[in-house]
Amino acid sequence: MVKVNKFIEQAVQQIKQSIDEKAILALSGGVDSSVAAVLSYRAIKELVIPIYVDTGLMRKGETKRIQEVFGYMNLQIIYAQDRFIDALRGLTEPEEKRKAVGETFIRVFEDEARKINARYLIQGTIYPDRIESEGGIKSHHNVGGLPSVIHFDKIIEPISTLYKDEVRDVARALELPEEISNRMPFPGPGLSVRIIGEVTRDKLDVVRKANAIVEEELLETFRPWQTLAALLGKGTGVKGDQRIHGWIIAVRAVESRDGMTARPMELTWEILRKIESRITGEIPTVARVVYDISPKPPATIEFE
Amino acid sequence: MSDLTILVINNYGQFCHLIHRAVRDLDMETRIIANTLSNEEILNMQPDGLILSGGPGIDRIGRCEEIVTQIDLPILGICLGHQLMARAFGGEITTGKKGGYAAVNVEILDEDEILKGLGPTTGVWASHADEVVRLPPDFINLARSDVCGIEAMRHISKPLFGVQWHPEVSHTDKGDELLMNFFRICGQV
Repeated sequence: MVKVNKFIEQAVQQIKQSIDEKAILALSGGVDSSVAAVLSYRAIKELVIPIYVDTGLMRKGETKRIQEVFGYMNLQIIYAQDRFIDALRGLTEPEEKRKAVGETFIRVFEDEARKINARYLIQGTIYPDRIESEGGIKSHHNVGGLPSVIHFDKIIEPISTLYKDEVRDVARALELPEEISNRMPFPGPGLSVRIIGEVTRDKLDVVRKANAIVEEELLETFRPWQTLAALLGKGTGVKGDQRIHGWIIAVRAVESRDGMTARPMELTWEILRKIESRITGEIPTVARVVYDISPKPPATIEFE
Repeated sequence: MSDLTILVINNYGQFCHLIHRAVRDLDMETRIIANTLSNEEILNMQPDGLILSGGPGIDRIGRCEEIVTQIDLPILGICLGHQLMARAFGGEITTGKKGGYAAVNVEILDEDEILKGLGPTTGVWASHADEVVRLPPDFINLARSDVCGIEAMRHISKPLFGVQWHPEVSHTDKGDELLMNFFRICGQV
């Protein structure tokens, strides 16, 4: 394991030495970019400009919390919900959806970067991102993406030698709020990969509510490594003597060390029934709730 | 036994960086290196042992077959690394009737040096469609399971070892023990 205090000292020193003018940083609110932002702020104060893009694919209350936690920095929040929904219209293939979100993100970010006219980019790339990108398992936005579209004179990656759990240790040492240091992984394309098929505002609304319920019921009591709700499609149901064609929501909760392998949590009937009853009760268009019992492999943690 | 240098040869497996991590956390020097390096480039790094990572397919193994047959060092093949070792020495691999995913219970037939402390059965995680179906000459079978007949093997005299499962992932029991057994072998050579 990395020695946290020594690491912080060295990282801050390295940023100080590499940057003497304004630098931008893509802040997602995940633990990696949050740690990169705080280290950079310690090193160069107002020179770092974190840019947060609200894609409309975020979870409930997320943008507001970013404002609260990082508001003391030179933070820019970009509201771009319409651009993402437009880009996703008509797309049903998972890879096309991921690509559409990734490209839109780069375009939105690029517009802002041009306005700010920064020559330096700071990224929260971690060690596995780089290895996975080299292997072609998945393209990582931190490794490909931005630098290939916009030219930066310098790209600084202050946490590129760390593993995820080490980044969390650094986050705790930096006294980031626990909701960030312990934050569950959340996919780059956001809730769009928790909807099978085309993304619409209606489906986003349903899946956002369902995710909030699952998190409320499971996060604190059961401490899953990751938990989520996904919208699968439609099925028949009967609600209050009315036959409906309603959404099917899948609930997933897994335990894992690093997300590379995962086991479904053996939740009790009691809690599963409570989640089912809240989701179908609080979201009128949902008719059915299922629990995913697949490990990874062969399934992945996210649905798309 | 410390300060051994163990190089991890990258066959593009999704768990490749976890091998690096496991080796590093057990206090060994380690680096992930490309599977296209020449024998000379590899030997110039003065390794004490090599680990061949898993990966998506036998068409992306670079120079691994030359490495495993020509370099005289302890070598541990994991998943695809195990399969390519078998093929390089004249064994046979095919796509199994059913793949092995997630939890598999492995029966240890012979602990040998590499599986010391893992018998009589050990719970591992696997992720493979292909498997070794015929051992190469001069290799012996060390373990089996209900989904795969040759879960682990070794050369009868050289320090060459293969395991079909993934000792580097956190859900495998006694993965660190297996790696420590390998380092012990590397330290003795």
